[in-house]
Amino acid sequence: MNKLKNLRVITALFFILLITLFFVDFKNLLPTKIHGVLHLQLVPAILAGSVLVVIFLLLLTFFFGRVYCSFICPAGIFQDIFIRFSKRGHLKKNKRKRRFSYYKPSNILRYSLLGLATVLLLFGSTHLLLYLDPYSNFGRMAANLFRPVVIFGNNLLADHLMAKDNYALYHVSIYNVTTAALIASIAIFLLFGILSVIRGRLFCNTLCPVGGLLSLFSRYSLFRISFDKETCNNCGLCERTCKAECINSKEQTVDMSRCVGCFNCLSSCKKRNAIHYRFAPVFKKQTVEKTEIQTTLESRRSFLALSGTILATAPILHSCGSKQSNGSKPILILPPGAVNLKRFNEKCTACHLCVAKCPNQIIQPAGLEYGLDFLLKPRLVFKHGYCNYRCTICSEVCPNGALRTLTKKEKMQTQIGIAHFEKELCIVYRFETDCGACSEHCPTQAVKMVPYKDSLRIPLVTPDICIGCGGCEYICPVHPQKAIRVIADVEQGVAKLPNFEKVEEIEDIDFGF
Amino acid sequence: MKRRDFLRKGIVAGVAASTLGFSSCKREKQSLNFDKLQESLVSDELTVESVPDLVAVMGGEPDVMLNKALETLGGIEQYIKKGQSVVVKPNIGWDRKPEYAANTNPILVGALVKKCLAAGASKVIVFDHTCDNWIKCYKNSGIEDAVKAAGGTMIPGNDERYYKDVTLPRGINLKETKIHEALLDADVWINVPILKNHGGAKMTIAMKNYMGIVWDRGFFHGNDLQQCIADSCTWEKKPVLNVIDAYRVMRRNGPQGKSIDDVSILKTLIISPDIVAADTAAVQFFNQVEKMLLEDVGHIGKGESHQLGTTDLEKLNIKRIRL
Repeated sequence: MNKLKNLRVITALFFILLITLFFVDFKNLLPTKIHGVLHLQLVPAILAGSVLVVIFLLLLTFFFGRVYCSFICPAGIFQDIFIRFSKRGHLKKNKRKRRFSYYKPSNILRYSLLGLATVLLLFGSTHLLLYLDPYSNFGRMAANLFRPVVIFGNNLLADHLMAKDNYALYHVSIYNVTTAALIASIAIFLLFGILSVIRGRLFCNTLCPVGGLLSLFSRYSLFRISFDKETCNNCGLCERTCKAECINSKEQTVDMSRCVGCFNCLSSCKKRNAIHYRFAPVFKKQTVEKTEIQTTLESRRSFLALSGTILATAPILHSCGSKQSNGSKPILILPPGAVNLKRFNEKCTACHLCVAKCPNQIIQPAGLEYGLDFLLKPRLVFKHGYCNYRCTICSEVCPNGALRTLTKKEKMQTQIGIAHFEKELCIVYRFETDCGACSEHCPTQAVKMVPYKDSLRIPLVTPDICIGCGGCEYICPVHPQKAIRVIADVEQGVAKLPNFEKVEEIEDIDFGF
Repeated sequence: MKRRDFLRKGIVAGVAASTLGFSSCKREKQSLNFDKLQESLVSDELTVESVPDLVAVMGGEPDVMLNKALETLGGIEQYIKKGQSVVVKPNIGWDRKPEYAANTNPILVGALVKKCLAAGASKVIVFDHTCDNWIKCYKNSGIEDAVKAAGGTMIPGNDERYYKDVTLPRGINLKETKIHEALLDADVWINVPILKNHGGAKMTIAMKNYMGIVWDRGFFHGNDLQQCIADSCTWEKKPVLNVIDAYRVMRRNGPQGKSIDDVSILKTLIISPDIVAADTAAVQFFNQVEKMLLEDVGHIGKGESHQLGTTDLEKLNIKRIRL
């Protein structure tokens, strides 16, 4: 039976290592294709509309219980690491290891949160899901905490090597960790850390909407943890080792709606055979545990009741949110492939993978400047860079489909905004000296220098061919208000291709001097 | 010709030739000097072969033209001494492939690095303060690969931490700026720009290439770009050579270019220690394909006012070579 646990540990390590490495790979050395593993995450799969993945995961749960939570979910695995290395996880001499104990399920909390998150999602708001989704929370930790730590280490080493004339590594300044993202990441780090050490997988069985959803299926799973009532001597070792706190050793019951499929209980049993993981469908069993049925019924009742109240309140909540975004607040510039503000907001759960992957660090999590609706959502900031003309990495890696995958050709015509020129602020107008920094950085020459006075030239914007890459805004030397700025498109458009005219070929050219 | 005149000329020529011979080819045997004297004696004419002020080569591949030009200048050993550390500063501003002519030709840069190392340079460092993402620029320009293959070192220029304060006492608008420490540390440097049309500065050639050695370019744009470019060139450590790549020339929509349609292959190289003369020659060359007046490229005239060189090419000894 230990084999199951080994399989779990190996699979879990594979997923968490790959996902973490992908997030902290600030030089983009790993192949972009690794983002494929993220499509197995439930919330991204639902939002991306990957029906097959969702069906697969639900069936997996229906067959084997919530193994997703221990094998695939990075947030779950992350908590397991905490549990493993905390004092509670260690074997203490003369004391039984992992001293968890059975608690009743917090059904009202977990199902009301699941219900609320679902209803909000149906109304096009990721408000609750964004804060509770385990993958997104793990992503934010990886992007805003682990990645900076790795970069910091790289910089120490790079500076040391450079002092010795070795340029194998280079120093990287970090611009894309914002205050809001840092606070959110530290908060969830502490929550995961503290909660897991004290109460095991309490997060997964109360706050996590994925855990909540899967519990509805694992409740009836075909393979179940169950007691061999004659062999069991009620020693309680399995209960003490159960981080889901779902084993009641006295009653010899296992709440499969909360079991995360870690299989630690199997190896904890001194009798070895007293607790099993076996094919035992609920409908086959005549002696279904009373408690289980009761909790199920109870939870169903509370679930329905809560859903009702939520349904009534959701539209109000939603309209509150949308008012903010339509008001005086500026529109945020979305990464290319977002299509439009509404779609993006409905699909993005702020996992910050695009933030971590952007080679120019211009995708940055928003604070409250665009309202609560867009808190932590990625948007473009042209302070330390601009969007590379041919780069498509953000659109490629987004697991939620919040950013549609773009080809290079599509990207070069995807208009995320349009440059607006304010002549009165421009250097050429004010000081009558040459500048042209904006036009210099314009890849399509949508910002072009045209004759102005004498030999002076001044920028002219052709909106049709502008893609809003922000090169002009980034480089404009006017402070604090730039003379040229990108105003976001609510609906990302398709820019026209610039006119390409072949220069006349020159035959027999001379030196000319 | 009178005997006295002949003797006088002969002595002058002999002295000139021997000193020249000494300075230009130290390693060669002294007998060479007498060949020159012999020639002038035979032809009864005095042709003192001095090192030209400017060499322009046309019609070859970048590395071939470089070899020819350096040979005409008396070899790169004239400019780089054994054991010196060298910085080669190309234009690597944009994430563009070589065909777009937005960056200095990688073959030229690679060949130059090789030449420097062959001349005994202790190390050759290459960098640019790029406009686009520096890693993409280094890679896609082909320059990183060319430099590494030639035995040089590419170093980053993307972070303010690498730039150190320098004062420019002769500067009019730009009196102090931050320059890359690699240049401050180097014994000599070679300026290797590409000739391009430029929306802001009208042209970008050798003087404009200084904007890739400084950190704060915004100041330039905000304080009379043309004057600041000229001011930056007054920095005490001048490049020993300005090697202007005009193999592929971006004629319009510079400095980035919209497409390959903006580019003509003109297969030309201009080299001079005089940065103003080099830029002047390059503008006049460019003027043949696209109209461009020297006075519109303001920084060149301002450079002459700073006594960085001359725009009067008539005064100079220019070698024009067609391959």
